Amino acid sequence: MLIRPEAVSAGAARLIGRMSPLVLFIALWYGACSSGLVNSEFLPTPTKVAAALADLVSGGEIARNLFVTLFRAAVGLALGSICGIWIGLMMARSERFKAYVTPIVGGTYSLPKSALIPLFALWFGIGNVTAIAAVFLACLLPMIVNTYHGVVTTPKVLVWSAQALGTTDRELPSQVLLRSAMPDIFTGLRIALGFSFVLAISTEMIASTSGIGKLIFLYGENGTYDYMFAAIACIVAVAFVADRVTLLGMHRLLRWHESAAADYERRRP
Amino acid sequence: MLNIVRPKIEIRRVSKAYASDHGPVLALRDTDLAVGEGEFVSIVGPSGCGKSTLLYIVGGFLDADGDVIIDEKAIMGPGTDRGIVFQEYALFPWLTVEDNIGYGLDRQHVSATDRKKIIDRLIGVIGLTGFEKRYPRELSGGMKQRVAIARTLACDPAILLLDEPFGALDAQTREIMQDELLRIWLETQKTVLLVTHDVTEAVYLSNRICIMSARPGQIIEQFTVDLDRTRPREELVLSPDFNTIRNKVWLSVRRQALAAGQQNVDPS
Amino acid sequence: MPQKSVLIPWRPVTSVVLLLLVWELAARAKLTPPLFLPPFSVVADQLCRSIADGSLTNDLALSLARAFGGLLVGTATGVACGLVMSRSRFAEWLIDPFVALGFPAPKIAFLPIFILWFGIGSSSKILLVAFACIFPVVIGTYNAARSVGRLFVWSALSLGSNRRSIFFHVILPACYPRIFTTFRIAVPVALITTFTAEMVAGGGGMGATLIYSQRFFESPTVFAYIVVMMCVGLVLDSALLSFQRRFLGWAEN
Repeated sequence: MLIRPEAVSAGAARLIGRMSPLVLFIALWYGACSSGLVNSEFLPTPTKVAAALADLVSGGEIARNLFVTLFRAAVGLALGSICGIWIGLMMARSERFKAYVTPIVGGTYSLPKSALIPLFALWFGIGNVTAIAAVFLACLLPMIVNTYHGVVTTPKVLVWSAQALGTTDRELPSQVLLRSAMPDIFTGLRIALGFSFVLAISTEMIASTSGIGKLIFLYGENGTYDYMFAAIACIVAVAFVADRVTLLGMHRLLRWHESAAADYERRRP
Repeated sequence: MLNIVRPKIEIRRVSKAYASDHGPVLALRDTDLAVGEGEFVSIVGPSGCGKSTLLYIVGGFLDADGDVIIDEKAIMGPGTDRGIVFQEYALFPWLTVEDNIGYGLDRQHVSATDRKKIIDRLIGVIGLTGFEKRYPRELSGGMKQRVAIARTLACDPAILLLDEPFGALDAQTREIMQDELLRIWLETQKTVLLVTHDVTEAVYLSNRICIMSARPGQIIEQFTVDLDRTRPREELVLSPDFNTIRNKVWLSVRRQALAAGQQNVDPS
Repeated sequence: MPQKSVLIPWRPVTSVVLLLLVWELAARAKLTPPLFLPPFSVVADQLCRSIADGSLTNDLALSLARAFGGLLVGTATGVACGLVMSRSRFAEWLIDPFVALGFPAPKIAFLPIFILWFGIGSSSKILLVAFACIFPVVIGTYNAARSVGRLFVWSALSLGSNRRSIFFHVILPACYPRIFTTFRIAVPVALITTFTAEMVAGGGGMGATLIYSQRFFESPTVFAYIVVMMCVGLVLDSALLSFQRRFLGWAEN
């Protein structure tokens, strides 16, 4: 596919247009600080935060801790997704399984997963396992619910057609059910991605010795607020990029889907 | 009941009941039907009479009381000997046209060269050369239905089950597709079981028409259709012998529809 | 097919009872250290004691007050923003990048900022909760307002309504069910944010006592509080669900 230069510059112009309120915001921030409207104790200037960020990046602080946080989030997300998809699939295929499992699933729905962090800290200490366990449980539910919905709404005629074309019962999930459920599974994945960040950071703030969450907390305690703001900006940016990348992947893999429209992602959470 | 020696499909005293809020509802009651090899049999009847249900039972997708015997063996669920085409096309939206057509071949682990040969031939047959890499969402209704038929033919089933396959298409496309189907049947000599509510379609395509009563469905009348199908559509449809049969069939279906308390039989 | 007993849902009850039984027996048999898994009976006992001496009720009241305070502020602001964004291109342009950036971000990361600005008392938590709730509410409300069927609006226009009256009498009421669903989604967000903020920063409430108990290895209290949190979530969600069914049951979805 040839990318036309006019399209690139038009796209860039659009992006700048969309980002300009942020520039405005930073300008207001700077103005509020330098005019003395806001006590610089409580709100470091954008320049100071930028300097702190540069320092963190060059010093490797960010890279080290970010890696730890992302590692925990990714492992928990991967495990939670695989188990969640499997459980959701089983629930959709077997009424008995669904009946036995639903109360447990329903119970965890109402439980704020971060409430389990102290419990996991009790069991597993303050290392990676606690964080991964918390992320795992948080990611489980949206994956189960969305996979279940996706599989259960697979049109009967698709299953029957597949069977008439020689699909065995063993092949049915991978060939038909999970593929038909892909849009729903991806929606769940996006939600789970958000949860993975929240739980990883929460665990680090409550019960950990490493990670971006811990870093933010420490800077807050030490009073080096410019570094604190810098670290927060960093994780916000990373979470945003991760979400966008997932969205991009979704669009590529769901090219075939009916509602694959261009501006779809901007409007849907 | 026509006496067919060694029928391809034999439906014996098939009954089907559904559970509902008001107790069991009988969709089919003691339905009997025999279909000979190479026959094109249509089942017509008022809405809700159970004709689609019967087709799904023959396809092996629904359980029922009674027997469905194919080639003198009782069926045990769906199978590649019975291809099915649905009104909703039922194409796999995540596969391209050629992968949809090749789906059954992939399940049988057909070699890549054979697969390509069969798919290319079928794409030519349905006239969709150039559309191999498109996804179903990019196709029109008529094109989708053609892919659905090609997909079924790829596995070369001995029997074709068609559930109101052209019901979702506009009138012009419907006629084109009917001619396609007729051509394929005359070429391949497969046994075809077609469910439709369109009486003209049934008379145009089949050599036997079964009328199903209102619910609970039973085959209550049959008509043999002995027309010279080499004639072009314009001649055939306007000919008196076509219309004699058509009128008889229509009347029979209408009686059933009225018995069911419905007024909406398609008079076309 | 034999009639399944409708009165008692056997299978769900069975699995829950089984779970509790396994818990009790495993704990009693000292399969796990009592610190890690106190017997269910001990947890239940602690629960009763906490209720009796008022500590649980105090904590719960405080947490819920914070959660709801933040929820209300966040929902009100979010709905207002979403509606304004749906009507005004300028508002949409202005607010969109912040929503796009904020939605995927882990809002808990902002807690230190709120503590810096508002201290470790309730206000920082309430505002953080509001901050966390705004984003899903804005998006949900915006989508709801934008998706009100054109046919509704056209019918109203042809019946002689002006744009303003259409907004208040057609679009807004049509949005209520979806906005309510968004609100239902915001409730667990509010609870989680409150509990987590209390766990990190202290200052009383369920979360604070929970982490306090963990640091002092009082596992029965830890378990008891987790059970209470789960029940709170359950009760709230079913209450909201039945409210939705009763008053917003007219919606197609």
